[in-house]
Amino acid sequence: MKTTQHFGLLYVMAAIVQIIICNYFHLSAYITLSILPAMILCIPMNVGTVPAMLIAFGSGLAVDALAEGLIGLNALAAVPVAFFRKPLVRLIFGEDVIEREGSISFRKYGPLKISAAVLVVQAVFLAIYIMADGAGTRPFWFNAARFGASVAAGWALSMVTAGVLLPDDKK
Amino acid sequence: MPKGKHISYIIINAVVFIILEVAALGMLSHSGTVQNFWITRGIHAMQSWLWGGTESVRYYFSLKSQNDRLAEENFRLAQTVRYYRMITGKDYATDISTSADTVGDYRYIHATITKLGNNSQHNYMIVGKGYEDGVEERSGLITGQGAIGIIDAVSRHYSYALSFRNSGISISARIGREGPVGSLRWDGRTSHGAVLSEIPHHIRIEPGDTVYTSGYSSIFPPDIPLGITGEYRIVNGATYEIRISLLEDFSKLRYVTIVNNIARQELEELEER
Repeated sequence: MKTTQHFGLLYVMAAIVQIIICNYFHLSAYITLSILPAMILCIPMNVGTVPAMLIAFGSGLAVDALAEGLIGLNALAAVPVAFFRKPLVRLIFGEDVIEREGSISFRKYGPLKISAAVLVVQAVFLAIYIMADGAGTRPFWFNAARFGASVAAGWALSMVTAGVLLPDDKK
Repeated sequence: MPKGKHISYIIINAVVFIILEVAALGMLSHSGTVQNFWITRGIHAMQSWLWGGTESVRYYFSLKSQNDRLAEENFRLAQTVRYYRMITGKDYATDISTSADTVGDYRYIHATITKLGNNSQHNYMIVGKGYEDGVEERSGLITGQGAIGIIDAVSRHYSYALSFRNSGISISARIGREGPVGSLRWDGRTSHGAVLSEIPHHIRIEPGDTVYTSGYSSIFPPDIPLGITGEYRIVNGATYEIRISLLEDFSKLRYVTIVNNIARQELEELEER
């Protein structure tokens, strides 16, 4: 069974996977694969918004520094995901999970709700990432196509990441 | 969670969020040239928006004094037109042969000041007209009471001007309409003070004379009143240095006129030969 104690280790491993993806998996100019937003969403609810933002900033910077990219780009996009994490969880999963400071799980909330949450965090992350990466030099249609393709590709990968990081609730 | 604690929790979250995002933007701007340009452009757009807002508030509360000043200027102009009509017998309102914004070699563009720096040795102004409105670099900025600056850089909708109250600016000025010509620059200390130098010491100086632009530069047209002469002293035994009290109150600037010498390029090409 996965426990909160294991979460830190799993999170670091997921960050290493993200660095490997950034370095070696260049599918297309239209696809940016990122599991960072799903990783941030899976941070247990007993971790406050400020520590979650610091974790997001740190992991974003680590990915920026260790993968070929612009320093600050992943950090810039990851912090808003952590900032909106609790309001989003409250909106999709209800107040209960925030009050008991637990974690979301596939068993309790089902893949549909988790999928919706993953889509929202992916959208927030990629909207900022693609806008800052293009820096006003790319046409709107390119950014829109990149956004759509990246959300679709990243969603599948993020669901796998969520499956690994979230507690399975099996007794 | 109690209400007060909840509010402070939200404020702390927002502050940490802003700090982290600003840090990320700072790092991003240092790591990519395109991103640096994009972020700088965003910051400038935000500054212009903020300055525009604060200036609008300031302008609203100074409407009465602005109105009084405009009415006074309007009266003076009407008097001038009446005077010329009387001595020439011509109606100048129906005798305009050039396009509305061009008189002689100069093109005039009405503009408002969006941002005004008045508190340093290198004061500047942001003017709410850019190259889309026909503004060019090295155009002059004037008002009814003087030459107040020179356009240094132009963007699409805004222009950056060096104020006359900038230690790097000097204007070619003349005492009276036909007197000696010298170089006028801000004294760097007072809001109304300037110094006119390089006036030959054999010329008789009368305190209280009006100083005008000479028209010898390719930036400002001649005969714009600048200030009134005051005390003077001989420098290096050869020239006078005269204290000038400027006519323009730089703290109340709002409406200006951008003046562009349309023959400047031809003049400069001639000088280069």
